[in-house]
Parts: sequence; structure tokens; C-alpha cells
Amino acid sequence: MIETEFIEQLKNQTREAYSKLLDDFQQKVFATCISFVPNREDAEDIAQDVFVEVFKSIKKFKGDSSLSTWMYRITTNKCLEFIRKRNTKKRFAFLQSLTGPDFEIDKTNFFTEMNHPGVILENKEQNETLFLAINNLPEAQRVAFTLNKVDGKSYQEVSDIMEKSLSSVESLLFRAKKNLQKTLENYYKNDR
Amino acid sequence: METNRKRHDETEATINSGSLIKDSEVSPFFKDRTMQLLFTKQDVGKLSLSWFSPKFQLATLFCFLALNIYTFTQVNTMSYTEGVSEFAEIHGLSTPEDNSLFNQ
Repeated sequence: MIETEFIEQLKNQTREAYSKLLDDFQQKVFATCISFVPNREDAEDIAQDVFVEVFKSIKKFKGDSSLSTWMYRITTNKCLEFIRKRNTKKRFAFLQSLTGPDFEIDKTNFFTEMNHPGVILENKEQNETLFLAINNLPEAQRVAFTLNKVDGKSYQEVSDIMEKSLSSVESLLFRAKKNLQKTLENYYKNDR
Repeated sequence: METNRKRHDETEATINSGSLIKDSEVSPFFKDRTMQLLFTKQDVGKLSLSWFSPKFQLATLFCFLALNIYTFTQVNTMSYTEGVSEFAEIHGLSTPEDNSLFNQ
């Protein structure tokens, strides 16, 4: 089926169209959600919100980008929204703990509990540290790094989702890596 | 020096650990739950007077106002005595003069 026809069916809100949409995208949307929020329950709730949002705003979709890019944009925004809410209380907790005399990483930051089915047990601590360090990055760097390094999307895909040029994405990734190095080196220095 | 090296390696390993995360499957009930959520919401929306569109709402408002204005003007044009006698007549409170025995 041609994408435009499929989009028309989605706009008509037929059950068949949404059933197909879920078949095609549930896994991809969930994978992106869990890359941002490493907790299965939270990620599934966000993914569900994504489909509800698609259902509500498909009529506004003009077709400037592909359906998948548009859906990934919604997914990214929903994840950031979720993280922002969770971070409100403890926005600077991680940063403060880095500079504080007795360094202790705040593990109750933006995910209830690290519960990522794709994380191998031996890497769990390392991954958890990474997620908390990512949480300390500026939003654009965080999005670029998560989409590329955790979710495994190509530079081109990241550029389409973020509506930025390839060179901007490269620059964001470079700066994200530099900031992560700084944060993590501080963390391991204080951890010893 | 060695500690610095070790720390650097540890940092690099942590940064690269993101790519070691394996793909994870969404719950098998996800689709059903989402479909239910999407279409129950829509049905509820349909039930709750979805036919009562803004056009109908405006038309109803005009009818209501027109009826009220008409009634108000009717009431105002009727004089007080006319109104009272009509009321009395309707409720059988007035005695027509030709019914009196003295008039016969």
C-alpha cells in the first residue's frame, strides 16, 4: 500500500489502519522510548502515549517528512516531556552530587528503576551510570547521543528527526561525547 | 599516571556501553492495550453528544432567544386588567353578568 493511501486511512481513524500502524511501529517506537527511559513500564506508557498522540494529530500531518520520521519526532518529544517532568524535582541533584564533598550518584533521577530488558547483567552498573550521565547533557546533545549511540539510528535518521543538518548532528555528538567524558571522569575520580 | 589511564578507559567503556544494549521486545499485550485505549476513547467521544455540533448549538440558542423575546413582547403588550380578567375567566373566578338572577 502506498504511504499516502495509508495516511488517508489513518486520518479516517479506521481500526485496520491503526492495527497495521501498531504492527509496523510498536517495536520501533518502544525501542526509542526505552533508549531514552531505561525502564520497561515507563517506556511502554510513553509508547502508548505516542500512539494516542498520532491518533489525535494525524489530521495535522502534512506529509513534509515520512510517516516514520514524524512518529519518531513525536516519540522523542514525548520522552523528553516525561524526563522533564521527572527531573523537575531533582534537576541538579546529579550535578550537585558531583561537586559535593561526599560523592554519591543519585539513582532515583528520571527513571523509577533501571529495568531495561536489553541490558546484560554484567553491564548493568555501567549502563546505569551512562544513563545518569546522559541525563546531565543539554537536551539537543542528549537527543542526538541517545538516538545515535543507544537507539542505533544513522546520522541521516537523527538529522531528519531533529530537523538539523548532518554537520550540526556531528557537532552535537562530538560535544555530547566531550561532556560525557568530563562528567564520567569526575564521577570515577570521586568514586575511588 | 596509571590511575588516570584506567579512569580514561573506564570512561570510554561506559560511553561505549550504550551500543552493547540489546534490542528488547515490547510486551505481547501492548498492541491490544493500545487499540483498546484508542478506540474506547473514540467511542466515548461519539456517545457524548458528538452530533451536537457548533452549528446546532448556535441554532438552538437563536430559537431559545427568539422564543423568549416573542413571549416577553406578548406579555408587555397585554394590559394588566385584560390579563387579570383573562386569568379569572380561565380559572372560573369571574361571574358573567347574564348569569345573575337579578338581571333576568
